[in-house]
Amino acid sequence: MNREIAYTAAGGLVAVLAAGVIVSAMPEYYSGIATKTLIFIGLAMAWNIVGGIGGQLSLGHSVFIGLGALLPAAMLLKLSVPLWVGVACAAVVSSLIGAGLSWLTFRFRLGHLYFALVTLAVGELGRIIVIGTEFLGGASGLLVQYKSWSFGEVHVSVATQSLIFALAFAALTIVVTYGLLRSKLGYRLRALKGNEDAAQAIGIDLLRSKTAAMVISAILSSLGGSVFAQYNGFVDPEVVASPILIISIILFTAIGGIGTILGPVLGVAILFPFGEILRGVLANSLPGLHLVIFGATLVAVIRLMPNGLVGWLRTRMQLLRVQQA
Amino acid sequence: MDILLQAIIQGVLIGSTYGLIALSMGLIYSVSGITNFAHGDLMVLCMFGAYTLFAILGLDPYISVLLVAPAIAIATFVLYKYLIQPISSQQLMVIQLTLGLMFVIQNLLLMVYGGNFQRVPSVLDGDVMIIGDFAVIQSSLFVSFVTTWVLAAVLFWLLGRTDFGRSVRAVHQNARAAALVGVNVGRTQLIVVSLSAAILAVSASLLVSGRAIHPSEGLHYTIVALMPFVLGGMSNLLSILISGTIIGVAETVGNVYLNGPLGFAVPYLVFILILIFRPQGLFGARS
Repeated sequence: MNREIAYTAAGGLVAVLAAGVIVSAMPEYYSGIATKTLIFIGLAMAWNIVGGIGGQLSLGHSVFIGLGALLPAAMLLKLSVPLWVGVACAAVVSSLIGAGLSWLTFRFRLGHLYFALVTLAVGELGRIIVIGTEFLGGASGLLVQYKSWSFGEVHVSVATQSLIFALAFAALTIVVTYGLLRSKLGYRLRALKGNEDAAQAIGIDLLRSKTAAMVISAILSSLGGSVFAQYNGFVDPEVVASPILIISIILFTAIGGIGTILGPVLGVAILFPFGEILRGVLANSLPGLHLVIFGATLVAVIRLMPNGLVGWLRTRMQLLRVQQA
Repeated sequence: MDILLQAIIQGVLIGSTYGLIALSMGLIYSVSGITNFAHGDLMVLCMFGAYTLFAILGLDPYISVLLVAPAIAIATFVLYKYLIQPISSQQLMVIQLTLGLMFVIQNLLLMVYGGNFQRVPSVLDGDVMIIGDFAVIQSSLFVSFVTTWVLAAVLFWLLGRTDFGRSVRAVHQNARAAALVGVNVGRTQLIVVSLSAAILAVSASLLVSGRAIHPSEGLHYTIVALMPFVLGGMSNLLSILISGTIIGVAETVGNVYLNGPLGFAVPYLVFILILIFRPQGLFGARS
């Protein structure tokens, strides 16, 4: 098991780095899609810590992403606070909200559905508060002008900065997930996911373990939000703080395979570009059609491969092995 | 003071319809243990059904519901039987699948009807009633209130006094035991799911008069419905209806005292506040 995790983590890291090298040589439209794909891989990995490893379907992660995107931009524009301070503040606030949300939902054992429903309401509340708060840009959003870096002769364009941040973020989430799966917390989470009664009977503290996972996931999601905002330049609250964002991320992850390292990476890496290209091809002829095809594909895959691509591949490989033996 | 009273009356009236949407959510949950996250989108689908029937045949939404309700009941029957029932034992999978359905329905509507707000005129448009000598309310809200409670009364009679109701309650209490004594669990679930879709169509026709509709509002209605659903303990139908009233009052009172979007945040804050003190819902039993 450990060796498998190590291989997939190493493979994932290599894939992310290779993607970065290839992307920097691509034309701008495609490198933009690639940068976004990397950010979404990171966001999916961050969600997967609670949703996959913890087995709790959180629909409220858009709060953390929205905070990470909006708070640093608002602090920079309204209070002239340096961006990195804002990013750190957003991460701290997100971790506090994450802890509060865990306390609200995990004090008593109220089931998976309860958690999904309550987090969805919290996500929608976050969207409404953002839209109603002038400091965070209200309904009109925030626009930040980023400057290109220059070190003597070398100039780094804003697009390349986004790519570097996206790469670093995706890599960070993979490393954290890898570390988590091998840590005590990771084993506790998996034990709780497998059988809550049995896990608690051997002394695992449910509230503490789930809260720890939530805090880690919230911090990573918030960082991802900051990276996403830097890529977009303009931060639209209806995009970054809407539950729709986290729902699409969950669907990507579900297709790849929830709970694995490779699942979110694979799901996003295949589906996100698919969606973007579909939009590029179909948007002029029939607006909305690309999302219908996209949604129908998602439903079909969820129905036909209940354990996602990774689960499907795994059973296939086991079948092959059995046949060979 | 008068403004507050008027807001409360309005909240009670509008909240009854929210409760009705949540009630149809609770009906499905009580027999199958699942929740449809495309619930609000199905209701928006019904609203656009009413819009289409008005645009083509000039039908009033209160009349076209007679066509929309059976149509959505059949559609939901098919959806549930072929997509959801085979995986209904895995709750998380059902959530993912219905989230995918949400995407499909919402964008199908966007594709067909475009991204503009639409209106469906009804006989009660602009009609107001005066209660006492202080509260002026839209007649359509009063009609929603009465319809909701009449419908609920019929439903409670159906569940409490008929053989069908007894089989539903048996499935709710213990599906395996119900199957052992000869209840066809799968069929009961399908009937209840279709019934709850018809109820959803009624709530759509109640909400559609006097307000603008938009294809992407589905998620909003899902969330508005899930709050009474959770507060009511998920399967206690009467307390779901009462919780709907609470959410409705929180919404209208919030909008009186807070300007702009923050007024809409009040029902959510009330919801979370109640969960802090009563995590199992207002009326739910602690297991």
